[in-house]
Parts: sequence; structure tokens; C-alpha cells
Amino acid sequence: MIQTRNLIDENGRRTDGRTADELREIKINVGVVKNADGSAFIEFGKNKIVAAVYGPREVHPKHMALPDRCVLRCRYHMSPFSTDTRKNPAPSRREIEISKVMREALEPALILEDYPRAAIDVFVEVLQADGGSRCAGITAASIALADAGINMRDIVASCAAGKVDEKIVLDINDTEDKEGGADMPVAYMPHLEQITLLQLDGILSYEQFNECIDKAIRGCEIVYEIQRQVLMQKYFGNETELKEEQ
Amino acid sequence: MGMQEIKRKFVVPGDRIAEGNFRPLMNVIKVNNTIIATRIGIAEAGRDGIKVIPLSGVYIPRVNDIVIGKITDHSSLSWEVDINSCFSGHLPAQDVFGRDFSPARDDMGRQLAIGDLITARIIVFDRTRDPMLTIQDKDLGKIPRGEFLKISATRVPRLIGKRGSMIQTIEQATQTRVLIGQNGIVVVTGRNPEGINLAVRAIRMVEEEAHTSNLTQRVKVLLNVPDTPQQTEGTSVTQIEKGQKVEEIQSTIQEVEEEIEEELEKGEKL
Amino acid sequence: MSSSKRSTIIVEHLRKQQMWDAISKGKRLDGRNLDDIRPLEIELDIIKKANGSAKVKLGNSEVIAGVKIETGEPFEGLENKGALIVSAEVLPTASPYIEPGPPDEETVELARVVDRGIRESEMIDLDKLVLVPGKIVYTIFVDCSIINADGNLFDATSYAVVSALASSKIPVFEMQDGKVVHTGNSQDPPVTTIPVSITAIRIGEAVILDPTSEEEACMNARITVTTNSNGDYTAIQKGSTGAFTVEQIKKAAETARIKGEEVRAKLKESTRDG
Repeated sequence: MIQTRNLIDENGRRTDGRTADELREIKINVGVVKNADGSAFIEFGKNKIVAAVYGPREVHPKHMALPDRCVLRCRYHMSPFSTDTRKNPAPSRREIEISKVMREALEPALILEDYPRAAIDVFVEVLQADGGSRCAGITAASIALADAGINMRDIVASCAAGKVDEKIVLDINDTEDKEGGADMPVAYMPHLEQITLLQLDGILSYEQFNECIDKAIRGCEIVYEIQRQVLMQKYFGNETELKEEQ
Repeated sequence: MGMQEIKRKFVVPGDRIAEGNFRPLMNVIKVNNTIIATRIGIAEAGRDGIKVIPLSGVYIPRVNDIVIGKITDHSSLSWEVDINSCFSGHLPAQDVFGRDFSPARDDMGRQLAIGDLITARIIVFDRTRDPMLTIQDKDLGKIPRGEFLKISATRVPRLIGKRGSMIQTIEQATQTRVLIGQNGIVVVTGRNPEGINLAVRAIRMVEEEAHTSNLTQRVKVLLNVPDTPQQTEGTSVTQIEKGQKVEEIQSTIQEVEEEIEEELEKGEKL
Repeated sequence: MSSSKRSTIIVEHLRKQQMWDAISKGKRLDGRNLDDIRPLEIELDIIKKANGSAKVKLGNSEVIAGVKIETGEPFEGLENKGALIVSAEVLPTASPYIEPGPPDEETVELARVVDRGIRESEMIDLDKLVLVPGKIVYTIFVDCSIINADGNLFDATSYAVVSALASSKIPVFEMQDGKVVHTGNSQDPPVTTIPVSITAIRIGEAVILDPTSEEEACMNARITVTTNSNGDYTAIQKGSTGAFTVEQIKKAAETARIKGEEVRAKLKESTRDG
């Protein structure tokens, strides 16, 4: 990607007014899809994404079941009205790839050996896309998995960093994604301090790469705080522990 | 970190509960020397170790659990039973008809039809096969009538209460009998429709607020029951040992079955 | 090829019994009367990138419809009309019984019945959406994503499409040097009528409106009737494997007209401020 215009102004403000280290606004609601075992709706900048989890549940067809662990199935899909130009509803190659990396981002956190011969299905639907939708999708999917009561080693948080006007910035938006110099989505397990998704699209020097990955991880840590707070709020309100009954 | 500080702390997956030489029990893992929660719930430290009482999650079958299941299909040798879990239960025809069962002579559909509800016990379940059920014990079998509802399986211990205290409070105040399966299926029977409705509302309240303080008080207010000082509950979250759990449920079931038998006069042989 | 299926939802006998007992007393399990519709919530303009959008909650059934307007070739045989294409997908998030994959016959029927209700009523005056007669017209895509399924997806989806269309902003295009150019202006859609779909099912001898998925699992037959603002019928579809008496059909059609008016008022009210 060779940039054609300046995306950061002389005051250090980006196209949407943010500074280099600012995340877009994030709002998450838990338990929004009544029929699902777990679900979450996330607004990440202008991204609007719903994630629903069904599982553990029976595997159909039966021969797809694994004897010693659970099968994890992930679908990332964009609704036709979610993008600037209307998108054909049939899964595109991009959606197929993202479904795969999303599954590989979530799987390390799940204790799949606890559910042999069963399946866990994660469905992420992008209702409005605005750059970084796979990160927002993974973030919402993690919450949905916790909401569904699946045994997890850690919560997976996801955020992207990128290069814009030769500067490393956090959480790139749609314009920066399309016109900027590099885009690096990352997914991270904050307690275990391990990366479960890493992609790069663009050009980064050695120093830029290190700066970018560090920045993305800090972004993931910020995202994690929001994920944790949202789950605690939904299940426990403002309490942190169960008080004795009189 | 002392045991007192861990007691009843609310956790989400990945949260560090304690460091040190503790035994990991349920819904936790030990990484290096740290106990980590793997589910949303309430961390509890006891003599044997640390566990998390979960607040969400589908029912995973356990041997000896009493469950309420729905007949969904049958082959020539067994019924398939939906036990509200990720695995289907199987009830062998022999369990109902006896050893000399013959598909030619014994009509499975007439004994248990698709859509029927049964109280059953899980007798076999391991990682390699689906749970096998029996309805041969006392108080098990087809449920002929009642109001059906589903709650989250994680809230069942709270609904039963310590030594059955919560459910008995509800039953007595509403003049109903409540059958509870460990899998979250509940059937309420009674002569009085208002009583049944009130019992259902109380059950829903317990389900929604299982992890909150003073729940028993609020349930009693809903049921219009005086909160006598002698009835202290202790901890809101019960920790019933496995055998005790079966006993409690079986005694509840026993009472319901007796009542139903009285009402029907002619018991149906199952 | 369409084949009989085993029911995916098996309703407990006790529940069915409760349902029949309640119906015989004129009530349903959620306390509604036989011809009460569940609470209907409509939220407009939730997808800013779309030209129009609406989220509809009919009880627990939840649908999002998004309108995207482009230019393209007209349909064959309709060279002087804008093109309108209504599609729907029941997302795998919507219920435990959905398998991801290409739309099954239920979903295809749903999309086509909703489309028919909009098209035959001529809700949008497509004559007004032509750029170059016979060559280039406005193409209106309305896509629906069903997020949670709890019965009566026909009506929920239809209300979402109507709300999204009526509140949409159509970008104004014009021809410059043989190319289509967006002028930067937008216009209100040419709406001629508000079609309203009302679905009823038969359980035993009773006909009840706006079924939940549990009630649909116990139904004999289903009928969806769409009326326009004049009270004329513009689309009807009978579904499921049972049958209706002639009386039941006529009564259902009559109820659809009356209830349709109530829902129409609600749809108009929410789009008027939109």
C-alpha cells in the first residue's frame, strides 16, 4: 500500500480526530441474542457486530465429531448492507479466510478437551463494517464464549495497529485501512501473555514492526479491561463478591 | 492470599484466584503455582481446594444425576431422550420392558411416546459414549402432568437450597410440588392454578438472582411468607456433596410421585 | 426438490397440553388473546452506511433490514422501471436449528413472500426510478439478516423491509457524458402505500395471530396475508403441511385487514419522524 495523501494533520490528529494512541469508542452488550447460549453485540468505532455462541452441542453430522475433544466451528460473515457497496451474501474468499484465522485466534483459549464429541459454534455477523471488523468480531466472540459458560484459559482480546504517514498508530479505521501503509491485527490472551492472531498487510521496517506489535498488544490490554468490566457488570452489577445473607 | 479473601469472589475466565499450594477442583486450572478461573462464577475456597461455581453454561451429564428428559425418537432397541445437554440420552427398551424384551411383541411407542417427559437417572456416562438412562428406580418414570419450565442448569443448586430449604419454602407457600432435574428442567404440579403461577414466578426469580445476597428474603416477600429469625440460610451458595444431592432430589420426587399416584388412583405401570 | 422433514422442534406433551387448555379458554401461554400481536419495536437508521435501515423486534424475533441503492440494468421485460430486490438470510445466530449454508427452502420462501408483498402492492413507484429508459435504472437492494428467530419471521421481516424502505434516502444520480454520477443530493423514496403482512396459524380449530416458534411447532397450517393502505389484498401465502377450512381462510383474511390497519399506523408513526 503506497499512501497517496496525508492522513495525519499537523496537530497529530487523524482523519477521525484521534491521536496516535487513541482507541475508537467501544460499547459492548452481553446476552443480546435470546436463543443463543452466549452472545454479545459490539460497537467498535462504526463497526456494529453481533456474535452468538451455541455450545457445547451435538455435532451434525455425527462423523465430524472428535473422540477426545470438542469441534470448534467459526463463521465470520458480513451482511450485504454492511459495506459501502452492497455485498453479495454468498461467503467471499476474504470471509472464508477470516473465519479460519478467527477460529485459530479463539481455539487456544478454549479448553476443548472438556467437551469430547461435542461442538461449539461461534457465529460472528458484521452488520456495519468500519476497519478492524475481525478484531471487533473476535473481541465480541470471546465475550459470547464466556457468556455461554465455555471453559476458557483466558479471554481473547483483539486490536489492530498500523502505519499511517510513517507513524505507528493504534486501532486503524476504515480510511486508514484503505489508504495507509500497513495494517496489523492482533489477538492476545492478556493473563497468559500469548498472541493467538497476527497478520500483516503492508510494509514495516524492523523497528516499525516491533513498535507496531507492542502498540497492538497495549491496545488489546485496553480492550480486555472493557471486556472484563462488561462481563462483571452483566453478571454481578457493581459487586465483586457475594456477601453473607442475614 | 488468605482463604478468607478468596471466599465467594466473583470471577470471569482468566482471573487469578490464588497463588500457592492449592488443589484445583472445578472450573479452574492450575498454571505454574496459580489457580485460574475458567468460567464466569463465584470462586470458593474450601478444605479440599478451590473451585468456581458457574453461573452459565449448558448442562454436562454426570453419573447418578436425576434429570428430566423428553422422548424425541426411538429405534427398535431404545428411546432417544433430549436431556437439555450437548449429548442425547438413551433409555434402553430393556430398562422398561425387562430382559425378555421383544420388538415384535412390545410396542415402544405405547409406553413412551415422542414428546413425553420422564424423570430418569443417568447410570452410565463417560467420554466415549452418550449417557444411558434408567427409569427403574422408585420415583422415576413418565411425568403425566404439570407445568413445564426450563432454567439454567447452573441455578439448580440454588433453587434446591441447603437441604432443600429453598424449594420447600416455595412448595409450602404455594401448595405445589416441584420436580427438579439437575439438567435445569422443572415441572410444577398442584391443584391451584394461582399457586402454580406463583411458584413459577418464584422459580424464575431464583434463577435470575441466584448469585445475589438476601435472595431468600426476597423470595419470601414474593410468596408472602414471614421471614422468621430461626430460618437462617448461612451461605447463599450451596455446596452439596454428590450423594446428598441425589437424596434431596429423590425425596422431592418421592413426594410428587406419591401425590400424583393418589390423584390418579390407577397408577400406570412403567 | 422439496421433501418432508422430521420436525426439528419437538414440543413436550405437557407444554402442548397447556397450550391447548389455554387456547380453549381464548388465551395463549404468554398471556395473549388469540388475535393479539406481540410488542413491536422499530428502530430506524441503525446502519449508517446503508441508504436506509431498520431493526424490528416482534416479541423475541429480531430482524435487521438494510437498503443499498445503486444503478444498474433493468429487469428483462421491465425496462422502464427501477429494480427492487428483496433478500433475506436467517443467520445461524438465530436459533439452534439453523445450519450455516446456502438458503434452504424455508428461507427462500420467506424472502420471496416478503418481496411479493412489497412488489405487488407497488409500495415504491419504480417508474420514478429510471435514469436512462431501457438501459440504466436505480437498483434498490433490501437485505434482511434475521438475528433471533422466535416465530412469525414473515411479519417481522416484512415490517423491517417496509420501515427501512420508507425511511431511506435515495441518492440522486444523473448522467454526465454517458456516465452515472452521484450528484451528492438525496431524495425521499416515492412511496405509494404501506403494505402490511399479518400471519396466522391454525392449532386445532383455533386460528391465532403472530405465533411464537413454539406455537409454530404445534401448528397445522399457516397463512400470511398482505394488505395495502386501501385494504386490498396484494399477496397471500398458505404454508405448512395442514389445511384450513374456507371459513377460516376468509376470517383470517378479514382479521388481516383489521389488524393490518393497527400495524400500519405503527409503521407510519415510526417512519414519519425518521
